[in-house]
Amino acid sequence: MKEELVLDTLVDKVMAELERKLGREKTEDVAEGEDSEQEEERIAVPQPKWREGLRELLASTPARIGVWRAGTRPLTKEVLRFRRDHAAAVDAVYGEVSQSILDEFQLFAVETCFQNTENYLKRPDMGRIITDEGVSVIKQKCKQRPQVQIVVSDGLSANAIDANLRDVFPALLDSLRAYGLQWGTPFFVRGGRVACMDHIGEILQPDVFVLLIGERPGLVSAQSMSAYMCYRPRKGTVESQRTVISNIHKGGTPPIEAGAHIGTVLKKMLEQKASGVQLAI
Amino acid sequence: MRLKTHVLGVTYQFRDLKEVMAKANEEKSGDQLAGIAAADMRERVAAKQVLADLTLADIRNNPLLPPEEDEVSRVIEAGINEKIYSQIKNWTVAELREYILRSDVGAAELKRISRGLSSEMVAAVAKLMSNLDLIQAAAKAEVITHCNITIGQKGVLAGRAQPNHPTDSIPGIIASLYEALSYGIGDAVIGVNPVIDTTDSVKNILQATKEVMDKWQIPTQNCVLAHVTTQMRAIRQGAPADMIFQSLAGTQQGNTAFGISVELLDEADELIRREGTSTGPNCWYFETGQGSELSSDAHFGIDQVTLESRCYGLAKRYRPFIVNTVVGFIGPEYLYDSKQVIRAGLEDHFMGKLQGLPMGVDVCYTNHIKADQNDMDNLAVLLAAAGVHYLIGVPMADDCMLNYQSTSYHDIATLRELQGLRPAPAFEQWLEKMGLMERGKLTPIAGDPTIFM
Amino acid sequence: MEEQWITSVGIDLGTSTTKFIVSRLRLARMSSHFSLPRYQIVERELIYASAIYSTPLKTGDEIDVDRVSRILSEEYKRAGLTLSEVKSGAVIITGETATKKNAQEIVHFLAERSGDFVVATAGADLEGVLAGKGSGAEARSRNIQGVIANIDVGGGTANTALFQRGKAIGTVTFHIGGRLVRLDQAGVIHYVAPAIQPWLRERGFRIVPGQQVSFSLLQEIARQLSRCMLSYLAGKEQGAAGLLLLGRPLAEVPAIDEVMISGGIGQLIGEPAPTNLDETATYGDFGPLLAHALAQESRHCPFRVVPAVQTVRATVIGAGMQSTEISGSTVHIDASLLPLRNVPVLKLEVGGRQLTAAAVKAEIGQMMELGRRLFDATVSPPFALAITGMGYCSYAELQLLADELAAQFAEAFPDSSIMAVICENDMAKALGQSLTIRCQHRPRVICIDQVRVEYGDYIDLGEPIAGTLIPVVIKTLAFHEAGVEGIQ
Repeated sequence: MKEELVLDTLVDKVMAELERKLGREKTEDVAEGEDSEQEEERIAVPQPKWREGLRELLASTPARIGVWRAGTRPLTKEVLRFRRDHAAAVDAVYGEVSQSILDEFQLFAVETCFQNTENYLKRPDMGRIITDEGVSVIKQKCKQRPQVQIVVSDGLSANAIDANLRDVFPALLDSLRAYGLQWGTPFFVRGGRVACMDHIGEILQPDVFVLLIGERPGLVSAQSMSAYMCYRPRKGTVESQRTVISNIHKGGTPPIEAGAHIGTVLKKMLEQKASGVQLAI
Repeated sequence: MRLKTHVLGVTYQFRDLKEVMAKANEEKSGDQLAGIAAADMRERVAAKQVLADLTLADIRNNPLLPPEEDEVSRVIEAGINEKIYSQIKNWTVAELREYILRSDVGAAELKRISRGLSSEMVAAVAKLMSNLDLIQAAAKAEVITHCNITIGQKGVLAGRAQPNHPTDSIPGIIASLYEALSYGIGDAVIGVNPVIDTTDSVKNILQATKEVMDKWQIPTQNCVLAHVTTQMRAIRQGAPADMIFQSLAGTQQGNTAFGISVELLDEADELIRREGTSTGPNCWYFETGQGSELSSDAHFGIDQVTLESRCYGLAKRYRPFIVNTVVGFIGPEYLYDSKQVIRAGLEDHFMGKLQGLPMGVDVCYTNHIKADQNDMDNLAVLLAAAGVHYLIGVPMADDCMLNYQSTSYHDIATLRELQGLRPAPAFEQWLEKMGLMERGKLTPIAGDPTIFM
Repeated sequence: MEEQWITSVGIDLGTSTTKFIVSRLRLARMSSHFSLPRYQIVERELIYASAIYSTPLKTGDEIDVDRVSRILSEEYKRAGLTLSEVKSGAVIITGETATKKNAQEIVHFLAERSGDFVVATAGADLEGVLAGKGSGAEARSRNIQGVIANIDVGGGTANTALFQRGKAIGTVTFHIGGRLVRLDQAGVIHYVAPAIQPWLRERGFRIVPGQQVSFSLLQEIARQLSRCMLSYLAGKEQGAAGLLLLGRPLAEVPAIDEVMISGGIGQLIGEPAPTNLDETATYGDFGPLLAHALAQESRHCPFRVVPAVQTVRATVIGAGMQSTEISGSTVHIDASLLPLRNVPVLKLEVGGRQLTAAAVKAEIGQMMELGRRLFDATVSPPFALAITGMGYCSYAELQLLADELAAQFAEAFPDSSIMAVICENDMAKALGQSLTIRCQHRPRVICIDQVRVEYGDYIDLGEPIAGTLIPVVIKTLAFHEAGVEGIQ
């Protein structure tokens, strides 16, 4: 403690904080009043035995509870909310990654043999192979044998890339910098499955590989992304050799923190020369 | 064994039973992905025609996966009653179908012949049956099991409360569970799929669900659907588990991919009998689903309906309390659209019932398959008519952890009212005591989860 | 790593008694293999509880450091512990002892000699909250709808903490304790604590040392003390308790549904009630009488009295078993800088909205200014900056924060070699990396997350366990009055 004046300042600050807290409680009441429609809409149960308790339940889970019913059927608003979320999920599967975001991170695009979305869904094996044209573009544009190879793919949700790449990608580069890791030439794969990293691994021979790919969309989020990582992925790599961080989106694993953690994982893979179940984290 | 036939002026000569079985299937994208499906409808009919004339002995004598090479085959073989088999072995598959559908053949007769059938014979007959055949035949079967309470009686439709949470938050799980109970759901099992496959997490969930059961004296059973080895560790550390769970595949190699074997299941079986918290005698919960063997490249060129049937043959060994097929979870490369999902749901339910299993169905779909909630409504109604033991109950059908859609608490309540079905009797009594149900109908307070707070 | 046990100790130097416990805390992975790692304390196990010692005093207002040290070293031996095994824990100095002239000194002295990371704490609020955790009141509050009050009554004070649905929502302390009036078996008064003399005068009770008093007079005093406190908690007669309050009153007394009584007095409730002076003075004070008066009077209150799981050891158990938390597992640390003890917290409330460059610059500027005025600018770190209230953090916002924090800290604290940041959200590794890229190790950056702190809190960060798990003890001076007292 340096001087008495300082004590006063802190007292003021603490008091201000207190008032803000008390005041906030009040304004929260007001705010509740203001968007009481919204609040009341959330609380659909007409006469819950314990209203406060219902709020606590709703806050504890993203599950669609406390929704009430008409007879035994759900209320219209809830049905429409469900349909809206399903529509977003289906759109994510059939959507395309925006060119602007690929340009922003200077990602050139290649394709797998998926042909079209219908076929992509039926033939996961074709999403694991890069087209001949793609192979020659990769060979021509990419640094060979990089320490870290970064690839982005739409997978089952183009929307996941649009929504998260701006946060994950630069955080990932920061984490590589923080650990002094060298990365090769990143690019985008259209119509990719997770195991397309094996084919690309054969072509570029990186030490470690990270694939940022859109996940199968759910109703809670159609924008969820996974980061699949592998030490020297090659033809014949099995799933248990991959390490994954999934559920990366605004309401799940925080994108910047996921990006920041990828560097740590890759560093360990390089040290241990292993990935997946063999990697000790 | 005659493998040749003519259809619409074309002669079809099949290589072996495996090919006939695969091509006789209704169209499935999984069989196409495996490269074993019929090329067109005509070939499909040809295969069905050949299959119809094969005898049950033909099927047994030409194993698709020899018992010497596969332990699932050995379990199935060991389960066949030779007396009964010898009485029916000269039946053709067509005759078996007609026997099953006869008016004078009821639950007792089905139970008897089922002991002489192998899983492959059951799969074969399913391939000759229409959807309505599958519904009617399954509706005849009666399989009653008991864990803490009894389910499977005629006129009972139970529900699994599946209160999953994306991070296994206990308060979040309990919140969804309260919602389930308030809709009268949870008599089949309170079954949670954990995200975190650690012993602690599994233990915590078992304890938390058990606490709710104890506090409100709920006549049901709990289960956490982690890998069997994790559950075993939790149980050994004293976690209260009424049942033990595992996903099954129809081949030994498929089970290896799941990290299990008959030996391990036997060990788990002994453990749950010794240290489980339920009355029993039925203490297992199994899940299956067409396509899982192909996805782990352990299918040996056998079609997915037959492999699914073999899962039931394996399940039977452990006299489970409940089994369900997670029919639409696996993805469009195995079941492409709602038509295929509906067909698979009815096939699985029938094949399980005919092998004496207490079958439930997870009527479900993922968002990359061509299906929507209306299709699930349809299949749920069909299955209720077929006498399904139980359906899955998820808040508003949206599982916020597994990221797929199933049936909702509302749906099960609706099907009960619509088709005059009731919860398991012990559970219904409890619902009445709680004031949630009167004469089989939900009361005005049903749907308020805070009554359990 | 799947799990690890750590040893945690608790030491409670109270007005009348001193206790010591040893517990084991189990850290286990509570995340899937597909998500960022997350570890939590999943089990807290009490493995040793010492006998209850009379707190050794040299004179009336000085604690006997040597004797306390001797007791502890014997207890460590008896518990089979070596100092290096102790990874966490807290020393708490409670009740009237906290006012002894060498209290501050002794608490730090003990903390530094009790293990690698044992923290020093003091303050009636924290004591009340820890007692409520130790007594079982906090756990019970999770299972009931209303508010539960834990009243920990020791020798000098009654520390009351209110809990609702697992959260501490308020504390208040009264000058009510068993050692406030001391007497012998003949009824001769030996001591009347100055703290209750104004209240006694106001109530018309005249007792002074040397005076012989009747059983019924003492009983009446105990009864009125109890009634005064209980009426206050029942929301009635706020004024009457005024003279008994230590520190500030509750801002608002919520409706209390249940009450638990812990502490030495809580334990005496379970023993037979004294019927005469002889039985009263078993311990040389009016504690037994107070205990039974409290039990008796609480029957007339609108709340249910529920038995405490732990009584006399509630505070020490709270301090030993419940004080430690674990930070998020993706953090940015430099193990060579840890542990850090007694770091004051300043809070940067970011608000849920989109961050603007101007607002971030101004807010951080104000905070650095405040930090410079409040704390020694050459200390490393001068304070811990807590970032709270932030909604989703994008990479662009992260850059904004990192730019301003790095630049302004360097400017405001050029002589400080450590910057400590505590994020409420899971973002410490990202922010830590961004800061490090900017600071280039001048200062070095410690950034942890998923810990909630308040203004006026002090925080202790332990050495990392298994590389990235940081044990954290937050010494909350929460709820109101203590914010200022805690600075000394």
